[in-house]
Amino acid sequence: MKTTKAVITAAARKQRTLPLQTLIDRDGEQKSVLCIIVEEALRAGIEDICVVLYPGDEEAYREAAGDHAGRLRFVPQREPLGYGHAIYCAREFVGDAPFLHMVGDHVYVSGDGKGCALQLVEAAEAHACSVSGVQPTRENLLPYFGAVGGQRVPGTKSLYQIERVLEKPTPTEAEQSLMVPGLRAGHYLCFFGMHVLTPTVMEILERHVAAQGKQGGIQLSPVLAELAERERYLALEAQGRRYPVDVRYGLLTAQLALALSGQDREEVLTGLLELLAQRELSPATAPQA
Amino acid sequence: MTPRLTDIITAAEPEVRNRSLDAFCRAASLEELLAECARLDAFRRASDNLYERVRACFFLYALHRFHLPEKPGFPINGRIPFEGYLHLLERRFEEAIGLFLKMQAENGPSDTLSSALAAAYHRLAFQTLADQVRRSVRSVRGNQWMFRVGHPHDQPLRVRPELLKRPSAEAPFPVLKEATPVRMDLTHSAWSDIFFLGMDYPEGARVLNVSIDLAVRGRDSDPRPPVEAYFRVLDEPVLRLASVDLATTADITDLSEVFDFARDYLGLLKAALIASGLVPPGIEGSEQSLTDLLARLVGPGHGIELISNVNGIPKGSRLAVSTNLLAALIAVCMRATGQMKSLEGPLEESERRVVAARAILGEWLAGSGGGWQDSGGVWPGIKLIQGQVAEEGDPEYGISRGRLLPAHHILDKTEASPETRQKLQESLVLVHGGMAQNVGPILEMVTEKYLLRSEAEWTARQEARQILDAILAHLRTGDIAAIGATTTRNFFGPIQTIVPWASNLYTETLISEVGQVFGEDFWGFWMLGGMSGGGMGFIFAPHRKAEAQERLQRIMSGARKRFENALPFAMEPVVYDFAINERGTYAQLLPGDAAPLPPDYYAQTVPHLVRLDPRRLTAARRAELDAFGAACHKRPELSGMVQTLFDRLLPRVRGEEGVGQDLASLLTDYGFDPVQHEQIRSDLKSGRIGLAQNRLPVSSDIRDVEPGDVYDGVGGLTEEMRALGLNALAEGAVAVVSLAAGVGSRWTQGAGVVKALHPFARLGGRHRTFIETHLAKSRRIGRMCGRFLPHIFTTSYLTHAPIESYLAAEANYGYDGQLILSPGRAIGLRLVPMVRDLRFAWEEMPQQVLDEQAQKVRASLHAALIAWARDAGEGSDYTDNIPSQCLHPVGHWYEVPNLLKNGTLARLLAEQPQLKYLLVHNIDTLGADADPALLGLHIQRGSALTVEVTPRRLEDRGGGLARVDGRLRLVEGLAMPREEDEFQLSYYNSSTTWVTIDALLAVFGLTRDTLSEEAAVTAGIRTVAARMPTYVTLKDVKKRWGHGHEDVFPVAQFEKLWGDMTALPELECRFVAVPRLRGQQLKEQAQLDGWLRDGSAAYVESLCAWS
Repeated sequence: MKTTKAVITAAARKQRTLPLQTLIDRDGEQKSVLCIIVEEALRAGIEDICVVLYPGDEEAYREAAGDHAGRLRFVPQREPLGYGHAIYCAREFVGDAPFLHMVGDHVYVSGDGKGCALQLVEAAEAHACSVSGVQPTRENLLPYFGAVGGQRVPGTKSLYQIERVLEKPTPTEAEQSLMVPGLRAGHYLCFFGMHVLTPTVMEILERHVAAQGKQGGIQLSPVLAELAERERYLALEAQGRRYPVDVRYGLLTAQLALALSGQDREEVLTGLLELLAQRELSPATAPQA
Repeated sequence: MTPRLTDIITAAEPEVRNRSLDAFCRAASLEELLAECARLDAFRRASDNLYERVRACFFLYALHRFHLPEKPGFPINGRIPFEGYLHLLERRFEEAIGLFLKMQAENGPSDTLSSALAAAYHRLAFQTLADQVRRSVRSVRGNQWMFRVGHPHDQPLRVRPELLKRPSAEAPFPVLKEATPVRMDLTHSAWSDIFFLGMDYPEGARVLNVSIDLAVRGRDSDPRPPVEAYFRVLDEPVLRLASVDLATTADITDLSEVFDFARDYLGLLKAALIASGLVPPGIEGSEQSLTDLLARLVGPGHGIELISNVNGIPKGSRLAVSTNLLAALIAVCMRATGQMKSLEGPLEESERRVVAARAILGEWLAGSGGGWQDSGGVWPGIKLIQGQVAEEGDPEYGISRGRLLPAHHILDKTEASPETRQKLQESLVLVHGGMAQNVGPILEMVTEKYLLRSEAEWTARQEARQILDAILAHLRTGDIAAIGATTTRNFFGPIQTIVPWASNLYTETLISEVGQVFGEDFWGFWMLGGMSGGGMGFIFAPHRKAEAQERLQRIMSGARKRFENALPFAMEPVVYDFAINERGTYAQLLPGDAAPLPPDYYAQTVPHLVRLDPRRLTAARRAELDAFGAACHKRPELSGMVQTLFDRLLPRVRGEEGVGQDLASLLTDYGFDPVQHEQIRSDLKSGRIGLAQNRLPVSSDIRDVEPGDVYDGVGGLTEEMRALGLNALAEGAVAVVSLAAGVGSRWTQGAGVVKALHPFARLGGRHRTFIETHLAKSRRIGRMCGRFLPHIFTTSYLTHAPIESYLAAEANYGYDGQLILSPGRAIGLRLVPMVRDLRFAWEEMPQQVLDEQAQKVRASLHAALIAWARDAGEGSDYTDNIPSQCLHPVGHWYEVPNLLKNGTLARLLAEQPQLKYLLVHNIDTLGADADPALLGLHIQRGSALTVEVTPRRLEDRGGGLARVDGRLRLVEGLAMPREEDEFQLSYYNSSTTWVTIDALLAVFGLTRDTLSEEAAVTAGIRTVAARMPTYVTLKDVKKRWGHGHEDVFPVAQFEKLWGDMTALPELECRFVAVPRLRGQQLKEQAQLDGWLRDGSAAYVESLCAWS
């Protein structure tokens, strides 16, 4: 199962400007968040990329994509009917091929140089099924994520057979149905914002869109829960970390993460130390007790 | 070959595993039993299976408590090491057992030591079981995470956005209301819903549980869910808890206060907040801020209000009102924080199970405990609840045979058709008989008997299972009359075989009277659970239901009036209307600006708000008051509200004046001595008397008896003595004096019944009162010697009138001899205790340490009571209760001088000059009678007093026979300078004394001739009284209020005790050791079961002639 297409969603009204923000990438170059995400996909062998966006944002995105603009296709989400619906907007682009899905407001930094998207695409190819990136997450963060439950695939370290998917579960639900052997107490596998999905997902989405119609609220997690019942569906504990830029200081944290794992590491560390030292030593700027 | 006891425990085959211990022990010799004890103890230490260990502990308990003492040749006297006793108090059971066994190895076994071992094994077994349930409660999936949350930032729950939406920034937030039915148990499960049973014998744990709505007949219009919980967001960062039924509100801003359960009446609401995860149990003791936690849950600057409401259903209804209220509170909190899928409407099965698991957790946290079926009201309709065998993957697997949580099967229309349900409602009359009883001892008895597989009880348990199947079958066919017959069979069969104390004279009187009135149309009696006397059901032919409801009310009220002094009643009996609730717990979201809370909530909170400066109220509070004001004009149910509020706004003095006057007139009537009272108060306040000052000087030399000090009242009694005694009895030289002034405070935990009139047990085929039993013994002796003894009952202000009228109604129980009441002439007024004494009792005296959570609850209660004593005024008169609970008898020392003072003895001597001796005994010493041989011994030795003592057992606390500074005398436990001294003493005071009248009179400076001179008598008594020590004691007194609620307060009173007479040097005293069966006293209901099983009851019956 070869994956050559990617769908990036960036249509949510409150988050539509986030992919346009500028960061310095690991290679020291100034890029937009969109660019960094697109390059992550390209490193994974993706050839065609579709960005689902808010109607009218095409120009700004084209500009932010820079050199990559030519290979991007922009599809507007005409009505705000939910995250699942945004993906569904790319159905014609996807056709009956598997696709990599990434959210437009996360930056990923992998540990060993092999991009998170590439890890996912390889796993999907090797096992010929949908694979979602997951990360063990403490239970107090459950209100923010979709989470999965299942069993470790025998003989593997970081692959799980997904049995259940719940969107923002309560800790009680999580404890009752999402406990995964081998994880620390109070930790659950939460979505990483990155998935390789088979075309079945579009089929299921179509039904959800038809059922819910204009009332909207079409989410991805219930679709993935159904997917788990229909076909083999794995979760990969990707080697790397995600940095959501839509949270408080998210952009700053993402920037620091990129810088500290890139070629400007020394320079940034020195700058940080200087900043701290000045702050602590100068009476005028020291925080008041 | 007979299997060993360890084989019975480990056997896989049910026929061996369920073999009873009794059968084994009957055949075994003393040596064999001792060898079995050693083997069992080694086995329980080695076994890693929890239930094997527990069963071994129960076997060991039963061997030491019942079977070893029964074997001929088992030594009686022994010594209990004090250190071992302290270990028991501290719950270090293993260490206690180790010490007792070491003592046994060194000095040989004895009845005394076995009593200590029995207690230790018994408590260890229950501790192990309780630990296991607690672990299971914590490890149930869905409960675990709450124990990991230790910081507000870890709180994963958020209040749902719907509850934060309001029309404007000033408007109150919407209210989420949860209404929940209560449950009744259609079969009475033979208590198979006790966790300990359900988790060991899941196959046998089955109940038929019905969710019902209730209305109190004559008060409410239609049945509705009896319990309600309300949740809403506040625009201030507080946790506001309000219990409408208990009329209490509190604003909590400190996290630690949420875990302080006994501080006020809001313990259940606090338990719900914790068990629902809003204030997770893991955060206890974290010193974190409640405001931060609330900010996380609801948003900065916001808080939560949680309200409970019980629609006037009395406590003790046996309908699991409090568990279902807890479940409703938990459900509303869980819905509000998105832990349930739906905000409104009913719950799904998986959600109901989570609520039930959390309710169990909540009950454990608050130190209470219900059965696993109790949250049945959360489910709809009629359901079969069954224990579940634990399987691999369950947290219980490998530890207990069953799961903590049972499975609920809701009966469908084929299993109980709508017509059957309707017919059931048309036939069944539900009532609350008015009695409030402590079912705690019953739960322990049932567990113990199950684990011992006592033969009769085990057979009964199997029969109870068949009864459930029969009721299921009758439900299927819709045969309500057959259901009635079956529940009756259950009550008179298995239930009472397992626990005879489940029934009582009141219940049986009701059943019999209803039977007489309704004949064939009375289809059956149905016990609702726990014990009878509170919630009960009577099944009638439908055409007579209305009449039956009306008639039952009268029958119950009449019987209650008859027994009100004999049995603990908490309230006037009520009859309910009820309806089966087919939707279970159900929630609705109500707009905040329409005064959606119960009317009584406003009656409770508005007066306080009105008194505040409006500027201090939040915008939402002001808007709420506006809305409430408007609603009062429009809504009919709020029509009387203006008057109610007006009444509450004005201070009330009327009621208090009434009580005060009553009390004053009682004090005058009963000869209260205000001068002495003021002296006692002044001594108490200045610290001259008090709990610590009760004790003898620390320098006192207290030793055990020496050889020859105590006469052997078993082997040493001769035929000659018996003949001497019989002769004296035949001549009319003896009268019996039973001390009946007491109100059985330990028996009913301070409920204040006349103990002498309490029908404590079924003897000779009927429930018998203490008085009847004592008279039956005198009747037998009278018949034996050919002359009926005069029998005197000494009374007090509390007991005189009830005993007099009761005896009149019973025609003196047909006693042919003289029956005399000797009214008390001394009375005290209780005082609010000194904080010093409370601290001494709770902090300095060795205390039984409780289970971890219960200990926390107790500590919190003690803090609250100390605050109460301080606020009420230490040493001030205790008057905040009904008058009879404010007065107290002043100790049984006065009861004998009263015979002199009130002329009883003088009159008796005038009529019967040959009278020489009195047998004085306590009302609860059931084995005491005018035994001719013991009387012969007393006559032969020529003593002034012969005091009966018994070999000591662990439970015999409260002093004993000792050499104090060389003199042989009785010492009260209160007077022991060191706790450990008591454990040196071999003999316990049975409080039974043979008195030579002339010698006693001499001590008072009187003779038979001067006995009629009032001044001489008064002076004599005053002189001796001055020589008797005054003890300050703390007594628990119940205060009843609301719908059957009770609070217990420790109050101070003073006493003089009869045993101190033995310290008078001029009174020649001798001591005789009598068998335990004769000397033991029945002080607590929890003793009853052992009393029945160890042969005590049979012994007493053998002394009685009932007619």
